[in-house]
Amino acid sequence: MRDAPSPSYHAPPPAASAGPGRRAFVTGAVAAAGLAAVGCGPPDTLISGRTRLRQWNLFAGGDGLRMIEMHEAYKAEHPDIDFRATTFTWGAPFYTKVAMGAAGGRGADIATAHVSRLESLAPGRLLDPIDPAMLAEAGIDDTVVLPNIWEKCFFDGRLYAIPLDTHVLIQYYHLDVCRQAGLLDADDRLVEVSGTEEYFDMLREIKAVTGTYGLSIDTWNPWSNFWSLYRQQDGELVLGEDDYEMDDDKALAAMEVLYRLSEEGLAPRHSMLADTAANLANGQAGLMIHGNWEIPTLEATGVGFSATQFPAVFGNHRTRGDSHCYVFPHQRDRDPERTRAAVEYAAWMLRHSLTWAKGGHIPAYQPVVESPEYDELHPQSEYREAAENVQFEPQAWFSGSAGRLQEEATGALTTLHQGTQTPEQALAQLKATIRELLTVPSPV
Amino acid sequence: MTSQTSAPAPRTSPGAPPRADRDLVDVRRRPTTWTGLWFVLPFLAFYLLFLLWPAVVGLGYTFTDRSLAGGPLSFVGPDNWQESLTDRALYDSLWNTLWFTILSVPLMVLLALGLALLTDHARRLGWFLRLSFFAPFVLPVAVMTLIWNWMYNPSLGLFNGTLARFGVQGPEWLFSEDTAMFSVVIATAWWQVGFNYLLYLAAMQSIPKDVYEAAAIDGAGAWQRVGRITLPLLARTTALITVLQLIGSLRVFEQIYLMTMGGPNFATRTVIQYIYDSGFVGLRVGLASSMAYIFMVLIIAASIAQFRLFSRKEA
Amino acid sequence: MVTSTSRPAAPATAPARLLRRRRVTVGSAALYTVAALAALLWLVPLLWAFATSVKPEGETTVMPPAWLTPNATFEAYAQVLGRGDIIRWTMNSLITTTIVTALTLVVCVLAAYGFSRFDFRGRGWLFALVIGGILIPPQVLIVPQFVLMTQLGLVDTYWGVALPQVVAPVFVFILKRFFDAIPRDYEDAAKMDGAGPLLVLWSVILPLSRPILTAVGIFTFIGAWNNFLWPFIVVNDPEMMTLPVGLGTVLGQYGIQYAQVMASAVLGALPLLVVYLLFQRHIVTGVAGAGIKG
Repeated sequence: MRDAPSPSYHAPPPAASAGPGRRAFVTGAVAAAGLAAVGCGPPDTLISGRTRLRQWNLFAGGDGLRMIEMHEAYKAEHPDIDFRATTFTWGAPFYTKVAMGAAGGRGADIATAHVSRLESLAPGRLLDPIDPAMLAEAGIDDTVVLPNIWEKCFFDGRLYAIPLDTHVLIQYYHLDVCRQAGLLDADDRLVEVSGTEEYFDMLREIKAVTGTYGLSIDTWNPWSNFWSLYRQQDGELVLGEDDYEMDDDKALAAMEVLYRLSEEGLAPRHSMLADTAANLANGQAGLMIHGNWEIPTLEATGVGFSATQFPAVFGNHRTRGDSHCYVFPHQRDRDPERTRAAVEYAAWMLRHSLTWAKGGHIPAYQPVVESPEYDELHPQSEYREAAENVQFEPQAWFSGSAGRLQEEATGALTTLHQGTQTPEQALAQLKATIRELLTVPSPV
Repeated sequence: MTSQTSAPAPRTSPGAPPRADRDLVDVRRRPTTWTGLWFVLPFLAFYLLFLLWPAVVGLGYTFTDRSLAGGPLSFVGPDNWQESLTDRALYDSLWNTLWFTILSVPLMVLLALGLALLTDHARRLGWFLRLSFFAPFVLPVAVMTLIWNWMYNPSLGLFNGTLARFGVQGPEWLFSEDTAMFSVVIATAWWQVGFNYLLYLAAMQSIPKDVYEAAAIDGAGAWQRVGRITLPLLARTTALITVLQLIGSLRVFEQIYLMTMGGPNFATRTVIQYIYDSGFVGLRVGLASSMAYIFMVLIIAASIAQFRLFSRKEA
Repeated sequence: MVTSTSRPAAPATAPARLLRRRRVTVGSAALYTVAALAALLWLVPLLWAFATSVKPEGETTVMPPAWLTPNATFEAYAQVLGRGDIIRWTMNSLITTTIVTALTLVVCVLAAYGFSRFDFRGRGWLFALVIGGILIPPQVLIVPQFVLMTQLGLVDTYWGVALPQVVAPVFVFILKRFFDAIPRDYEDAAKMDGAGPLLVLWSVILPLSRPILTAVGIFTFIGAWNNFLWPFIVVNDPEMMTLPVGLGTVLGQYGIQYAQVMASAVLGALPLLVVYLLFQRHIVTGVAGAGIKG
């Protein structure tokens, strides 16, 4: 267990004599015995008379700050709750800790998750079900949440998640650049185009203005873009036990779009992390396809921008999306009082998700989306319909945000932007990846 | 190697006689009782429950599809072994571990030797040198990685910032597949070399002064004395340090995990991280256990080979 | 080198001595310069961490990097301490490390004494079994060990962190060899007074074994305090984390507030640096003992 080299293999009889001898030895033993009384569990739970509520989340950056802001308000309103939230590193490290904590049975009272990851969290074993009646008492049921998201929260007929938001890919536009290209209407809204050729023409007009690119797009996280384009054509991906179905022609058409974007110089060949937003902010591109969570980043740059739904490259605005939700990691001794506090906390967060919406996410709680305050939010209110056009990934233990499919498909799809593989080759690689994943025995 | 080490005579006890073989005689003469077992029992309980038992049931897991998420369990025969043994990523991670070892062992032995030689000769700075060179060793790994990640930061860090001052564009350090492993090795050397250094220093300071004096009388210069006296007398210490460092380096995980999480593009993922990824991130207890056994066999074989080599040299 | 200059015994002719003395002096000046520079270089990471930690947050990312700031502040420390995590993790480390150290000493001393002083059936192969355990790298057992912890219900508890760390066969080996070398004559007197084996251990063996107990205790303490992998596996609850695990996994949320990150690093480094300064002699001789005897 110890990694530090110990004075192994050689008995060290250090010279000299003094030092913590018997007394220290005894003191140590007594201390240990004393600790035995404290036993498990953090000491302060014994003292505090308030209801303990522990939340784990994966929100860093802007989302993290907004969640902290909401939590401060929540704590101020609930002095009887001993509430503490912890942020883990986004993605696999977070999900690993949630799963291990649930396996141990002493994890969080409530944790955030992507609804697309529900199956990978083994509902029923690593996740405890939520009582819909208790949630309804707290004011949340299927009448206040969009049905397409609400049904994603069920597994085997039981409720396992409370949806907080929908987040999707949207299209941002640089006001000055697009105005110069003559693509804005009188209200500074981007003109509507439909179909691949019309969209590419629009990008060419923008490129004529910027001199560099038309569109800024993240080439290192291409799965979501691919999924949006594939679903716009009604492409289906059916994942069975050890077989799958995919529409090759539609997948090729979607890949062709990604390939041509970079090949024709309308989008960069490499763009990752902060580059993508930077390319729009500095006017190298007039449009950007990215998650709605980039709004605060662009706001911070001070550039004039707005946003709209994902472009109708194949005639509609379907877009890849996911939903942040709350789940209840499994606990050995589930405490009814804490469970109720957790449900009420989640409901409170949903009711106050206007703050959350400032980060670009579309609240799942419809009264907020329909409120006049939300109308005031710009550009958030411009794309609220996107929540109805959201395209989730098919359920499998390896799908979903930060899941293995998304991670491993990147290898094939990135080559389209780099121009190192044709769509045919990339499709072959993607299909091999999916086949490979299907041969892996499901761990849940 | 252990046989060489004479059992220590407690120096505090006055007049402790040289070690006598009468111990053995004594034991033989004494009647067999159960008293000794009672003393051994607490340790054995820990040993059996927390080391041997997991090792044994872990072997059982390798033949099942056991998941960390629980759920129905079934016997899958050699599937996990087959999957591990044909898994390219496992071999990649084994290579990364080996590469880390190849890079770190010579560096951390030679660096320790150099620093110890400096300290041994610059005795008036002794306490200060010992403090500087050994202090990093007591830092928790996360403290070390926080500091080095910050210094390595490509755009804001101390290293590239200082290089930029001289008009040099610094490397990407931890963010490039080409430099990530080297960066980790450098940070590790800074952090852990202190232990080897102290071993060397102690060995040097136990070399009798008159050996040097005799050489000085014969007209040997400082360099010659180091080359002809110090280094040869340190051969056994060097062998010991090398063995300990090899064993330590092969078990590397934590600093790499905290600095790169195995990236970029898995270029620094070690075996232990891959076991962690398979068992805890991927929830597949059976598969991860089979990988762990493969690695355990390799590491035990390596340890035994080293002990053999070492004790032959000693003999 | 230095010592040789002051040694009067060298029977060299006067001019030769003068010549050599000058050369050595130049040499030793160079040596001391190199040594001092190396030591300073070695301190750079720690000094840089401290330098960053006392900057106002806005100055940490200013390029080119500056070592000194006119606006030095302990604001970052106040922020970090105010959040309370570090204090809690330090307490957790103290608790688990104390359990590990105390139990390791008790259990290993008893076992070593049993193996050293008593004959009993199976002694030979039991000892071989214990020694064989030195070869098993505990790192590879993390998966079955975690499963065991879920079954025992010890995940996210202090005992879960501490108990598996108590298994240190190498210390049994070291202690047994030390006890073996203690002559039995000392015990005979006590036995004639009617002392039982426990009392003999307590009143005769242990007082003679202070140095080795100190060394084992210190190394157990440092090892357990700095252990990362096992606490990282068995603890998920941020409130139960030890200092290294908390610093390594939860700090992400501070993002790019580098002064705070470095203040955390400095605070995380302090406890053991203090222990090191207090016990410097024991640590150095403890390591040294391993080397000399090797």
